[in-house]
Amino acid sequence: MASEDSDKIVVLQGTLDLIVLRTLETMGPQHAYAIATRLEQISDKLLRLNQGTLYPALARLEQQGRIKGTWGKTESNREAKFYSITKAGQKALAEETRRWRRMSGLVEKLLTEGA
Amino acid sequence: MRRALARFRSLFRQQAAERELAREIASHLALLQERFERQGMTPAEAQLAARRAYGGVEQAKELHREARSFVWIEHLAKDLRHGWRSLLRTPGFTAVAVIALALGIGANTAIFSVVNAVLLRPLPYKDADRLVTVLHRGTGPVSTANYLDWRDQSHSFEGMGGADYWGANLSSNDPADSNPAEHILGLKVTQNLLPLLGVQPLLGRLFLPGEDLVGSEHEAILSYRLWQRRFNGDRNVLGKTITLNGDGYTVIGVMPSTFQFAPFWATHTEIWVPNAFGNTIHDRGGNHLRVFARLKPGVTVKQAQADMATITARLEKQYPGSNRGVMARPLKLNVVGEIRTPLLMLLGAVAFVLLIACANVGHMLLARTSDRQKEIAVRIALGSSRARVIAQFLTESLLLAAMGATAGLLLAFWGVNALVAISPTYIPRVDTVGIDGWVLLFLLAVTVVTAVVFGLAPAIHATRENLSGALKEGGRGDSDSLRRNRLRSFLVASEFALAFVLLIGAGLMIRSFFALQAVDPGFHPHNVLSMVVSVAGTKEEPAARRAVFYRELLQRVRSVPGVISAGAINHLPLAGDLWDRNFLIEGRPKPRPGESPDAVYRLIMPGYFETMRLPLLRGRMFTDRDDEHAPRVVIINERAAREYWPGENPLGKRIAIDSDRSGKPEWLTIVGIAANAKQEDWAVPASPEVYLAALQNPAFLGETSGSIGPHMTYITLVVRGSGNPADLATALKQTVWSFDKKLPISDVLTMDRVVADATARPRFEMFLFGIFAAIALALAVVGIYGVMSYSVSRRTREIGIRISLGAGRAEVMRMIIGQGMKQAMAGAGAGIVSALLLSQLMVKMLYGVRPSDPVTFGSVIAALGVAALVASCVPAHRATRIEPANALRNE
Repeated sequence: MASEDSDKIVVLQGTLDLIVLRTLETMGPQHAYAIATRLEQISDKLLRLNQGTLYPALARLEQQGRIKGTWGKTESNREAKFYSITKAGQKALAEETRRWRRMSGLVEKLLTEGA
Repeated sequence: MRRALARFRSLFRQQAAERELAREIASHLALLQERFERQGMTPAEAQLAARRAYGGVEQAKELHREARSFVWIEHLAKDLRHGWRSLLRTPGFTAVAVIALALGIGANTAIFSVVNAVLLRPLPYKDADRLVTVLHRGTGPVSTANYLDWRDQSHSFEGMGGADYWGANLSSNDPADSNPAEHILGLKVTQNLLPLLGVQPLLGRLFLPGEDLVGSEHEAILSYRLWQRRFNGDRNVLGKTITLNGDGYTVIGVMPSTFQFAPFWATHTEIWVPNAFGNTIHDRGGNHLRVFARLKPGVTVKQAQADMATITARLEKQYPGSNRGVMARPLKLNVVGEIRTPLLMLLGAVAFVLLIACANVGHMLLARTSDRQKEIAVRIALGSSRARVIAQFLTESLLLAAMGATAGLLLAFWGVNALVAISPTYIPRVDTVGIDGWVLLFLLAVTVVTAVVFGLAPAIHATRENLSGALKEGGRGDSDSLRRNRLRSFLVASEFALAFVLLIGAGLMIRSFFALQAVDPGFHPHNVLSMVVSVAGTKEEPAARRAVFYRELLQRVRSVPGVISAGAINHLPLAGDLWDRNFLIEGRPKPRPGESPDAVYRLIMPGYFETMRLPLLRGRMFTDRDDEHAPRVVIINERAAREYWPGENPLGKRIAIDSDRSGKPEWLTIVGIAANAKQEDWAVPASPEVYLAALQNPAFLGETSGSIGPHMTYITLVVRGSGNPADLATALKQTVWSFDKKLPISDVLTMDRVVADATARPRFEMFLFGIFAAIALALAVVGIYGVMSYSVSRRTREIGIRISLGAGRAEVMRMIIGQGMKQAMAGAGAGIVSALLLSQLMVKMLYGVRPSDPVTFGSVIAALGVAALVASCVPAHRATRIEPANALRNE
């Protein structure tokens, strides 16, 4: 499944959960569309994902009890499911963030020092 | 925990989740579309762009679904698919395994369905576990006066009722009714007995208080079967009058089709009428009443028994000899007591069959996993955990077991039908045997346990192997793992041990059966036909007619073409009722209560001994001259002579059974001694017995009306023919009806059939044991054959080397056979020990053979030895054919 445009970043397996949790922590309750839009903005459209692929991540996180979905209204008075991060989610986010930092630090080190 | 719960909920709420997902996606798409419209697109363009930005909707849904579902279910599905494919790749293995498991599981399901219906299911009454019987030594009838005292003095029961056996001639006054007069089985019940059972009638009502008093007792409740058979299920039967033994009875109710009473005796009762005790309420001598009671809530059988013991001890003091050995025990025990042991033995036998099947499939799987060593090693190397691999193997086992169970269920359906069809009538409730929810639950449990039993050991062994070794060797080492070899030998040996025990069981049953067949009934049953003719309610019933009628009947029967001789008896041995009477011996001191001589009591007409070919040892038989005008005479059997006149000549001595109206004994002179004949139970030696001349017995001739009167209104004809006695039936019936069309005839049986029925139970048990033992033997032989074949194929190279180094073919053959025999003998050794222990449980089922019977043990050892020899000969022969060059090249 090679991507046609090589500039775009393919989301690493497992990192999407982390990103979603972080987004919900900083922005408060959001619906799926808002989360997707936010991801596009932040990554300057570098991180391009089909918005539909967010859904398995949301379902997984909800099942793990890290986020919680409730139905509500958008500003345009349209109904949507709003997700918010739970206590367990915050704990998991801290844990995952630490792990990611260690991992990326290691990779960075390997790449710069040329093992 | 909450997560698991959420997932679990989601499993059941798939549809709700699907709807919610669709709603969420729709809202998402709408928001996207709004944005694109704000950017200046037309709605149609915006909708398309939104779809593009979102990506595949169905794909997202699918991914969402996967994330929602259980991981283990995913794994399970994957394992099932994988297992299914791998089973299909080896159809031979799969077929053999499924057949073995189907036999094991099918046999278990069939026998369990019988155990379930006969032993486990509660009796069809309300709170049936609170129903007890209060009877003499647990099963024997009691007297009316005793029953009334117990009922009034006991504190443990909510109610206590009694039933008397009652034969009724059902005839119709309606000339349009084409049904012949018919003798049906009825019970005379106390008014409270049916309500005590807690079963509502289908139509009408039960008896009301006061309806069992003399004068108001002419009411009847019909069984569903009788209602259908005689009255075509007509609901207007209520209030109609039917004729029973010549008296009119008003039908007040019909019981439901599931209702049966009594459950352990008189089981084919078709009609219930009130029991008006009349003047028998003071009778403590005539034991004919069966007493049933319902325990008060919270009262145990033990407490009730203690209560009864106090009462009967008091009554015994007051009326010595009248209240001994009275026992209260659960009604269910009376129903299933006899059959419990044989059924549980059979359940044990089929469990053994299943274990053998498991061992069989187990070592087949073991061989299979050896061949799949490489696959396992690769999977573990690629990161599968050992638990995952074991789980996968167990899934495969479960799949096999499920296939076996499906085939087994079909076998069980067929087997249950066959079982019910061939089962002797003595098995209570056998008509209710079938495959129900409990049986299916049992099947499910057995399937899962089976899969674990045969699948776990191979799975553990397979994953324990040294990984790198398996990969290096290319998965086909020339030296098999020692441990695995040991497991395989253990499995084969245990198969043989189990088969050994089963064969011993079957062997003992067969020996016991032949011992029973060899028993001499005392008479010659061939070519004899019997039938019961009843006079109750007909014009032949009055005393003046009866004596004439019986005599003339026998005369006319003797003149029927094909008849050699004819006689009659009140109760046919083995088939009819059994009466036991106390008697006095002239010139001896009055016996103490409970110690008076007693004997089986029969009334016969001249010709009985000749027809049955029952030898007379001394003295003379009865003749037509032994009638009411002649001196009263009696014939005793050999056992009675030995028991009561040891070292004396009983001929000419006198005994008394009844007393006349003034209380003086009516003396009977002993004129003959007959050989012992079978009485009620085939396997029990004859008790003392007395034969009275029917034609000089006042009760039989209808001259007295005591409690015994109604039981004297029928007679069993015995007729010896020159050919097949069944051919005489029609002519004999016509002869009876030439007197009176309304004379009911019942129980038309050949004596051969009567004897066969008496040995039906051991035959049935032997048959089932034999079948299961044969299956076990076949499985064990297949097992040892499979293991030896496999072993030879694994040792091809070794054998090739041996042969090329000069080992003779005979030597190779000896080696392979020796290996097989060693396993079989180890199994047989364990089998002998277990069989010696387990066969002790069969003592009650055996006749004329000890549980440790050396003939049986010897034959089974020989049979298994031959079977093992044959099973290892074929692979051994194959081994000698190995070409050394080919064998080495193949590696």
